[in-house]
Amino acid sequence: MKLSCLQDNLTKGLSIVGRAVPVRSTLPQASHIKLETDQGRLKLVATDLTMAVTCWIGAQIEEEGSITIPARLLTDFVASLPNEKIDLSVSERGHQLHITCARNEATMAGMDAEDFPPVPPVDDGLSINLGPAELSKAITQVQFAAATDDTRPVLTGIHTLAEEQTLTLAAADGFRLAVHKLALTEEVPEKVEVIVPVRALREVERLLSDQTDQVEMSINGGRTQVLFKMNSVEIVATLIQGTFPNYGQLIPSSFTSRAEIDMKQFLQETRIAAIFARDGAGIVKLQMEPSGEGQPGKLTISARAEEIGEHRGDMDVKMEGEEAKIAFNSRYLQDVLQVLEVDSVALETTSPSSPGVIRPIGDDSYVHVVMPMFVQW
Amino acid sequence: MARTIVHADLDAFYASVEQLDNPELRGRPVVVGGSAESRGVVAAASYESRAYGVRSAMPMSRALRLCPDAVRISPRFERYGEMSKQVMAIFRSVTPLVEPLSLDEAFLDVSGRAKFHGGRRPLAEFLRAEVKKRTGLILSVGLGTNKTVAKIASESGKPDGLIIVPAGREAEFLAPLPVRALWGIGPKSEAVLAEAGFARIGDLAASSSDRLGAILGSRGPEVYEMACGRDDRPVVTDSERKSVGAETTFPRDLPDGDELRNQLRRIAEEVGERLRRHGARAKTIALKLRYSNFNTITRQTTRGEPTDGTDEIHGEATVLLDNVVRSGDKFRLIGISCTNLEEERKEQLKLFD
Repeated sequence: MKLSCLQDNLTKGLSIVGRAVPVRSTLPQASHIKLETDQGRLKLVATDLTMAVTCWIGAQIEEEGSITIPARLLTDFVASLPNEKIDLSVSERGHQLHITCARNEATMAGMDAEDFPPVPPVDDGLSINLGPAELSKAITQVQFAAATDDTRPVLTGIHTLAEEQTLTLAAADGFRLAVHKLALTEEVPEKVEVIVPVRALREVERLLSDQTDQVEMSINGGRTQVLFKMNSVEIVATLIQGTFPNYGQLIPSSFTSRAEIDMKQFLQETRIAAIFARDGAGIVKLQMEPSGEGQPGKLTISARAEEIGEHRGDMDVKMEGEEAKIAFNSRYLQDVLQVLEVDSVALETTSPSSPGVIRPIGDDSYVHVVMPMFVQW
Repeated sequence: MARTIVHADLDAFYASVEQLDNPELRGRPVVVGGSAESRGVVAAASYESRAYGVRSAMPMSRALRLCPDAVRISPRFERYGEMSKQVMAIFRSVTPLVEPLSLDEAFLDVSGRAKFHGGRRPLAEFLRAEVKKRTGLILSVGLGTNKTVAKIASESGKPDGLIIVPAGREAEFLAPLPVRALWGIGPKSEAVLAEAGFARIGDLAASSSDRLGAILGSRGPEVYEMACGRDDRPVVTDSERKSVGAETTFPRDLPDGDELRNQLRRIAEEVGERLRRHGARAKTIALKLRYSNFNTITRQTTRGEPTDGTDEIHGEATVLLDNVVRSGDKFRLIGISCTNLEEERKEQLKLFD
């Protein structure tokens, strides 16, 4: 193998695939990055065996070939080099990568690329094209609701349902549920329902800002792998097997109180109250009062820190239904409010111990259900 | 399933402890309390002195007039506390569900425990025998399906009594008793009820919840239920007891002044801190004062909003103290106890399990 590329490109490529490199691995090859010439470009691959990231960067190939090099060493070294041309070559005899850049010269011991874990093919299944901006928004609006602990592995994934002309992403951690519906340009030939690890989707989302073309999402026939194909990056992830909770029934179909709230104000007031709620399990209390004669409705957000102080802030809202009280973990409120891209949201409640529903006004594609905190009022 | 509740009450507790500790006092009329000269009151009277008409809370001077041979003894609360602990330990050997009401009485929920003792009567006898064997004290026991019945049963059986009210016979047991035997019926309510023609608990049971509500107000329905022998209040153990308090006994009696006020502040801090640690807030704040003559009073106030703040507790206690203190008063003990607690239960509810 003999090639040259720009330090800048190689650094960027290594940092993209580097996110799949496991911190610890029983398989030594897995902590390596595979370098391989591929149709006039340099292909970089890393995997932790549940997710593989492949990235292609521009290179001048003189001799085809491949090698694997310890990820950390290669990444740190290349990142420290000046932004100039880098020459890479693998010696004929051993598994050694020779690197020269400006007046630096280095040799790194690698391994045979044949021993690198293969990236499974993702074929004979469903393939759909998604707009990068739409996909990014969908992932952003659901990913935070996925469970972080893996007592129930299915909840660490995003339930992904392709049906007719809609792709629905849903995440739930037992306390909240986020559902986003994406309109597809074409109807899918069959209903496909899988659970994608949230980590893979977060990686996809990180790359979408550079993406202008449509993203191709493919799920293999055996429903074991998902592939996201972007401009010069591909991510393949092993799907989570299991049954996701039937979340449709968790979304309340009615409410007794509904307030339309200015989003920015709601988020700001929640953040202010959260400062006081730090010590009290993050509890913020919401009170909604219907509009009176000539008076707008009011939403009051308050929080109390034992022996320290308390805070209350209120805002005018458009209120429908009865007055209501409900308490939430402030973090849950902030999580959802900071990912919505609308001017106002609706908060729907039924009782202090029934789920609260947050919907962006003027955007039917999203719904968020959050369980309240039981508190003594 | 019907519960089995025991009300256990030590007979003439303070006086009995004195008689146990000092054999010379046995068989003699003993009254425990402050001296007549210091306007003391009777904290406890032995059965020998009761025969002369001496009763608790009676001024000592009057008690000694009724029973000139009585031996007056200053109370030794620490010693009573020790004895009480031993007795409560015996109760807890039978069931963990023990609700102490004071040093000398407690409710025990012994539902399901009787079979280990061969029945309810053997269980009650076991309690009495154990207390007698280990402390020498006499325990009266009332046993029934709820607190009201058990308490009234033990009262009726005193001294050295054991009364068991079988399930289904609660109303029948209560019916012939005077209305003041019911919890919460004091002289005032008794007079009001008498005027309305109610003398016996049976009369109340034959009436109606609405009727008693009209006479007694909001407590009416509760009184009616109790009169009918129904009471579903649970036995609340010490650990979950709904009160947090602290008190201090002074090495020498204190008049009202900085020292007393500082002690009050310190106690308020201690109580506030304990409330906060338990995540509880109190609606009722009670001030306890023991005068130099051993007369002990409590005054309490109930707030609209529960609190766990030192300043609020201290403020309420100060108002209570200001209201009772008169110049020349000297105090042996001051304490604050907070009841009517609201546990700040906080819980993230789940969307699904």
